[in-house]
Amino acid sequence: MTAQRRRRAIDSIGVSLLSAVLLLWSLLPIYNIIRVSVQEKEEVLSTSVYPIAPSPHAFSVVFHQAFWLLETFWNQMGNSFFIGVGVALLTLTIGSLTSFTISRMRIRSGWMLTNAALLTYVIPMSFLAIPFYGIMGKYGLTNNPLALIAVEVTFATPYAIFIFQQYGASIPLELDEAARIDGASPLQIFLRIYLPLMAPALVAVGTYALLLSWNEYLYAFLLLSGGKVVTVPVALGKFLVGDEAPWNYLMAAAIIYAIPPLLIYYGFRRKMSGGLTMGGVKG
Amino acid sequence: MKLISRRQVLGGVGAAITAGTGLMPRRARAAGELTVWWTQGFYKAENDAVIAWMADWEKRNNTKVNLTIMNGPDVITKLIAGMQVGDVPDVVHTVTGDRFLVPRAAWNDQLEDVSDVVESQKTEFLETALNSARLHNAKQKKSSYYAVPTKASSLLNEVWLPLLEEAGFAATDMPGTHDRFYDFFQIVQDKLRAKGKRIFGLGYSMATKEADSGNLFHQFLVAYGGVGIVTPDGKLNIDDPTVRQAATTTLERLTTPFKKGYVPPGAINWGDVDNNNAFFARQIVMTPNATISIAAAQMDKPDLYYKEIITRGVPMDNDGKPVASVLAISPTIIPKGSKNVDAAKALLRDFIQPANMNAYLKETRARYLPVMASIVKNDPYWTDPKDPHRPVAVDMGLIKPTVPWWMSYNPAYSAVLSEQIWAQAEANITQSNMTAEQATEEAAKRIKQLFEQYQK
Repeated sequence: MTAQRRRRAIDSIGVSLLSAVLLLWSLLPIYNIIRVSVQEKEEVLSTSVYPIAPSPHAFSVVFHQAFWLLETFWNQMGNSFFIGVGVALLTLTIGSLTSFTISRMRIRSGWMLTNAALLTYVIPMSFLAIPFYGIMGKYGLTNNPLALIAVEVTFATPYAIFIFQQYGASIPLELDEAARIDGASPLQIFLRIYLPLMAPALVAVGTYALLLSWNEYLYAFLLLSGGKVVTVPVALGKFLVGDEAPWNYLMAAAIIYAIPPLLIYYGFRRKMSGGLTMGGVKG
Repeated sequence: MKLISRRQVLGGVGAAITAGTGLMPRRARAAGELTVWWTQGFYKAENDAVIAWMADWEKRNNTKVNLTIMNGPDVITKLIAGMQVGDVPDVVHTVTGDRFLVPRAAWNDQLEDVSDVVESQKTEFLETALNSARLHNAKQKKSSYYAVPTKASSLLNEVWLPLLEEAGFAATDMPGTHDRFYDFFQIVQDKLRAKGKRIFGLGYSMATKEADSGNLFHQFLVAYGGVGIVTPDGKLNIDDPTVRQAATTTLERLTTPFKKGYVPPGAINWGDVDNNNAFFARQIVMTPNATISIAAAQMDKPDLYYKEIITRGVPMDNDGKPVASVLAISPTIIPKGSKNVDAAKALLRDFIQPANMNAYLKETRARYLPVMASIVKNDPYWTDPKDPHRPVAVDMGLIKPTVPWWMSYNPAYSAVLSEQIWAQAEANITQSNMTAEQATEEAAKRIKQLFEQYQK
């Protein structure tokens, strides 16, 4: 008994130690972001591990756009938001319509479309940057947010179709049959039966699509130019190439930029995790 | 549920293609507009200067200028993407383009010939500036001016006087010859460490990215006698024993202090601005830097600018003889495919008027040097003896001997820089424990392969 207790105690200490290390490892970067954001510029690169005189000055500068690299910050935030929401909505629309058509209307060889869409992930996003740049140039869409929306939707949609397909399989076809007998058209079935039952998957995929475009750098930098058109990640990249590199402003801006996705994530957390796990337990 | 027929699917696809094709001929730009990409400055004054100048030109010429200011590496990446797909701006100014892009773009016939622009001020330009802009076009089998020299820079050394003093030294204690000069800062570090200060003596950039590590390596290479690595007729001379020895010595002299802890460990990942930031944070006593940007950024703090930051030119070689500075010439180019070549040339012709160029460079706080000797001769601003930084840069870049970067002789050397072959050799020594000789040999092997691709 004593040996068993001792082993349990050792296990428990081991788990606690490992948890503490992992916790520290995960939280340290976040702590550093917050620490730097409340420090003054001169203090940022000091060896101090905590802010000596914490101040919200950097946040105030970002809010008031009172630094030359932040002159159009809110404009850029608006661009990120517009693009993020646009990508999420379009991905949901295309993904849900496609999966409904394939799985509920049973078009012939529909499985090929699903598989072909997933195949697009074989090619890394960055490899397609130049071809996309060329395509958008031909359509006259360079320096237009629609170009970025189109690209991001292209990359988000295959995943959306896959998740919707998997999730939709758990919704009994009998519901469609019953609605059809009652005289519902395919569009009515889609709007009144399919979409409400797909809500968790829609939330999960919508959040994924929004975050994908929210954090995008390569395509945003390639397809958009100019202070008022670019998104926040591209604008923040400019901080890294100047003698006046106020890391406190950069971190404050990064924290402000992280707030909307955090709110969305925690707002829809319960539904989203349901959506993600349901896709994996098709039975 | 009703099945959709194959015909319906095909019909839908056809309709989508038709709708897409209908969008095809759209053009993003109105005729008569100019799209200009410009490298972002290291501080606000640099951006303000170009914005003001473009706005003025726009008014005077009634031509709209769409100016986009991007950070240095992004300009090059985006331009390469644009040239690949044929969607390019009309004018591009890239600060490091002379090293990483322009010679190869000219070789591949991707740039407009701007001889008429350069000729309009040919007598004014420095010879090194003209040499670096005159490039070979392999497709058209001709050499011509494919870049407009815009501003110049060469390696300088920035030193914190208060840190020297804290270590018990004065500015006059800095030795004047190469090895003794750089070794001196190791002694300074030892003294500061003895006082409990965690400060590094040397701020050498050693990253396999951007320009600073290459600037440092090549200035050392010249100091050790390796200036002939590529001959003016474009031949690679890396097997010459003098050049080989210079390269090996350079690698050894840059990596040994790093291994001994006299260079911050993070220097292997420094971008061009990071040595500046480490300097501002007083983590390093000195740093070699290609411009006076470190001091210029502090111009509005007189104590720092005039008293605490020292700018020193490159020291004499170990025999006490002057060392030529490797003079970089930042180019402005018109990519082939520009929709408005005439207006682009008109803009550049106006920009390189000595008075305009001088005004622009002064607005940028003279971070870069003029590429015209007359500007310095006619405006005392550049040689003002009260200024502790500007005249040093002028002396090094415009008065004392200079040599052009070697891609002026052969664009292959631009590929050498883009691949960061010498910085990689440094990494092979510091990270993989190669000897300097082995690292030089490996670098030489790759450089030879690259030169084989650029035979006239």
